[in-house]
Amino acid sequence: MAEFKLNEAKLDELVNALKSEGYRVVAPVEEEGVFVFKEVVDPGEMRLDVLRTARSIKEWFFPRVEPTLRYKFDRGSVTCKGEMPQSPPKTVIIGCRPCDSASLPILDKLFDWDFRDEYWFKRREATTVVAVACDAPDSYCFCTSVGGSPDGTAGSDLLMRKTVGGCYLFESFTKKGWSIIETAKGTLEPAGQNEKVLVGEVPKRFDLNSVKPWLDNNFDHDYWKEISYKCLSCGACAFVCPTCHCFDIQDEADLQGGVRLKGWDSCCLPIFTRHGSGYNPRDTRDARYRQRVMHKFTYYVDKFGLTACVGCGRCCVSCPIDMNICTVVAGAAELAETST
Amino acid sequence: MSADIYQPYLMRVEETTDEAPGIRTLKLVFQDTVAGQNFSFRAGQFGLYSVFGEGECTFCIASSPTRKGYIECSFQQVGRVTRALRSLEVGDTVGFRGPYGNWFPLDEMKGKNVILIGMGIGLAPVRSVIWNCLDLRDDFRDVTVIVGSRSVDLLVYKRELRQWEEMPDVNLVKTVDPGGETPDWDGKVGFVPTVVEEVAPSPDNAIVVICGPPIGIKFTLLSLEKLGFSPDQVYTTLENKMKCGLGKCGRCNVGNTYVCKDGPVFTAAQLKSLPQEF
Repeated sequence: MAEFKLNEAKLDELVNALKSEGYRVVAPVEEEGVFVFKEVVDPGEMRLDVLRTARSIKEWFFPRVEPTLRYKFDRGSVTCKGEMPQSPPKTVIIGCRPCDSASLPILDKLFDWDFRDEYWFKRREATTVVAVACDAPDSYCFCTSVGGSPDGTAGSDLLMRKTVGGCYLFESFTKKGWSIIETAKGTLEPAGQNEKVLVGEVPKRFDLNSVKPWLDNNFDHDYWKEISYKCLSCGACAFVCPTCHCFDIQDEADLQGGVRLKGWDSCCLPIFTRHGSGYNPRDTRDARYRQRVMHKFTYYVDKFGLTACVGCGRCCVSCPIDMNICTVVAGAAELAETST
Repeated sequence: MSADIYQPYLMRVEETTDEAPGIRTLKLVFQDTVAGQNFSFRAGQFGLYSVFGEGECTFCIASSPTRKGYIECSFQQVGRVTRALRSLEVGDTVGFRGPYGNWFPLDEMKGKNVILIGMGIGLAPVRSVIWNCLDLRDDFRDVTVIVGSRSVDLLVYKRELRQWEEMPDVNLVKTVDPGGETPDWDGKVGFVPTVVEEVAPSPDNAIVVICGPPIGIKFTLLSLEKLGFSPDQVYTTLENKMKCGLGKCGRCNVGNTYVCKDGPVFTAAQLKSLPQEF
């Protein structure tokens, strides 16, 4: 139940209040013609009306490339320094959509699996996530097919919902979310009893329950060849995806020393699984695209009990040849229905 | 301070041994002696070895856990990191993360006949098991070691093959592929699956460990089946490409099974139940 609301005209004040409390404010900001999550310098550049940023909020927890180690060479010996962030800056991400927030608890499972990746969790602890419910989802959205909704709360500390009267209702779910309300109290006003909220509708495209059993039994189905025939193996889908987490580890150095880097990778790239011998267990596009779908819709479910797709639609929008994971999975669900 | 799972131990190269053309063994000791004393592993586990400035590379630990104070790795030079590893000299620094993954069932093998088969560089993980068994010889019944290679010069651990040959309580069978023999070769000539059928170990109260190239494993499994071994008695390893070794980087999986976490050791029965994508 939302107790507070913020008039749209006071968004600048909200940003300033958070900044003066020491928060690094991150929000959708235009950069070279696209919207991405960036630190807000001028409150006016924050754009809460952007439905789908080019990339997800993932990079604020799991950067595209980050050092894990720096080393120096000194007459044959090596000295190393670990690069794990000990106390990342207190950050608030404002204006991500509920699908992006939902990706965070999904990835928590992976990064906490047995070996705990503190690079992820240090930033998770330092960051408050304020999502904005979607009042105008588009045809690429399919959150409702993978367990989410346009005003879903998973992974968010606070949810803002737009009202007919040009306000945002504030509802917090965690201590971190409440701290935002406390900080911004001067800009907020009490919410009315019957505020009319604008929340869009996302039609359900497939039945998730029928997808997994079909995938589990159809590793060798011709479907994989059919759908991945046009895949370019470019990997764009993975880089824009909020839940794709595969990474590479590489060294870069000169004569004085260097750095070990952990950076995003993609299962669609042929080199991803290629052995030193040249042998590649996933040497065809269909094997790689199948891996992408299987990983999200069955392997991840087996491991962690969650589907690793939030239905944001970014991979579909970004694909140069219009591969659409929603259509692919819906197709699998259809095959599941016709085969029973 | 929380633990950083990507930090390697710093190791010093203590010894280098050329095993075969392009194949070298490095003996590594921990620079931090306390870390060295606290380090333990089981036969079959692996690690990420790194040359600073070049990158990390995954191999099994080729030495036996019964030999304390050091670890060894054996590798074939194929790419950037292995080339750099091969160029290291005694005293140089190497990074090591590990031990990772599961291990061979040494506990279960106690009181049983053990048949240990290594093909090519695949002898490296088997060597860890061999020395583990030989260092605790009384725990096991018959120890049969079958070693195969494409040619005589490509046989690895040649010095140790002689040692095992001379041990009265080890049955060592060595073979090279037809055409790979030399005039003074004193072993068998034939592919490992054929030789296994000739040696014909009994499946009774026995466990098999087998490592090598996928094609060699595939056909040796058929031979073992013919001899009456069940797929539960046969252990092997999968050697998928890895970057993290920690179950996160996402490339070593076969179906929902992560080689780095659920493996690298699998029974032949487990391999049969996986999607054939390895």
